Amino acid sequence: MKSKTDEELIALINQKHRPALEELYDRYVKLVYSFSFKLTKGDREKTKEIVQQVFLRLWTTKRTYNPLQGKFANWILTITRNIAIDIIRKEQKQPGMVQLELNEWWQMEDRETEDVPQQVSRNLLKQQIQEAKQHLSEPQQRLINLLYWEGYSLSEIAKLEQKPLGTIKSRLHQTLKILRNYFSKETGGVPHGK
Amino acid sequence: MENKCENLSLYIIGELSVDERVQFEQHLITCNHCRIEVNSLKETWQMLSYDVEEMDVPESLKAEVMDFIFQENSTESLVQAKETENKGSSLTQAKTAENLATLEVQEGKLKKRSYLDGLMAFLGKQFSPLSTGITAVLVLGVIGLFWSNHQLKENIVVLEYKASSQTQIVRTFDLKGLNLAASASGSAYLLEEGRDTVLVIDLSKLPSTKDEEVYQVWLLKNGNRQSAGTLKPDPNGNGIMTSRLPKDLSFDDIGITLEPTPNNTQPQGQKVLGTS
Repeated sequence: MKSKTDEELIALINQKHRPALEELYDRYVKLVYSFSFKLTKGDREKTKEIVQQVFLRLWTTKRTYNPLQGKFANWILTITRNIAIDIIRKEQKQPGMVQLELNEWWQMEDRETEDVPQQVSRNLLKQQIQEAKQHLSEPQQRLINLLYWEGYSLSEIAKLEQKPLGTIKSRLHQTLKILRNYFSKETGGVPHGK
Repeated sequence: MENKCENLSLYIIGELSVDERVQFEQHLITCNHCRIEVNSLKETWQMLSYDVEEMDVPESLKAEVMDFIFQENSTESLVQAKETENKGSSLTQAKTAENLATLEVQEGKLKKRSYLDGLMAFLGKQFSPLSTGITAVLVLGVIGLFWSNHQLKENIVVLEYKASSQTQIVRTFDLKGLNLAASASGSAYLLEEGRDTVLVIDLSKLPSTKDEEVYQVWLLKNGNRQSAGTLKPDPNGNGIMTSRLPKDLSFDDIGITLEPTPNNTQPQGQKVLGTS
């Protein structure tokens, strides 16, 4: 199991091979757990619920993972975020906007394999993100927080901020562009818009 | 165009509806600017997930997660139980056999249930509420298409009928006046309208009729006469009559008599017009 690639493991999981699931768990649980822990603001019970749902999803998915679609870590994090936000929104009794399976896959499409996370370690990435975030204005930082980590939709944020949706949309665009520019500086130039 | 470029950020974060997403993906084909931006901004969005403190995972979590997943599939855990039981050599054979029988019965029940559950789970997993909705819309669409296709076919049949039912003159007759209507004249037309045969008689300068008198049209074939109808001229002496004829009716000549009363089966009055 240890020598198998993520792709091979997912193929085995599709054939209901339990040890393959356990191996994937060993590889990715730390990432999924840490990420969920932040999303739930440190709620260990909810974190456990999310982790269970993520690996159940892996166990029951009929999709095969193809490395050309992108990094496995990104895929599992996308699943994790969608599940977490779904759970958070259900608790807030807000109608869910997240379409689970669909989003997880389309977000992975057309991705080049040689992306940043493969070149540097997670900790280095984290450092870079925090440095890049320092170049964001206060409203831009708030936007990323509400949107990415709190799971608010753009229109909800527009209401919270009492700004037109168009303003929030362009604020998001600006924010992503700034972050991209600083990421690429730190990593010696990720090609833009390849 | 501008409007669609604005959707770039919503596309990146996955907040577009399916429709909007499809539209935006079509827009991507034609919009260089968006195409250049989309991949690197998606990557940026995904990198945000690494802004996380690494946590130590509780040791007990793995067992909990695996239990959670594999309890979903009770049949499987029963099979595992059975295997464990088989290995248990301390049990007497009778006891094992008994247990196995019970297990198999339970397993049978569970299998039945788990087929249903499996189907439901399969459907649930294969079809999100969204895709169920889309499927429903598609199915309705297909039914709609069949229906409109059916309607269209009917329309075509009607149109074909109409096209084939263009009126054609298949034969014309000159009618000459005789006797007391010597100055009268007229024409007869045999028309085909689709599958129908229609005789049109158009007469002029007819002497006016008195009381119950009518002009009656006879179709002649080998000396036999058959009535085709009657007409009364207007004050100017013009008279028109149309008559729908039986399909297989054939005749050689037309004769018109002035009858003292309408609806005679054989001519009683004088012949006043004819084809010959």
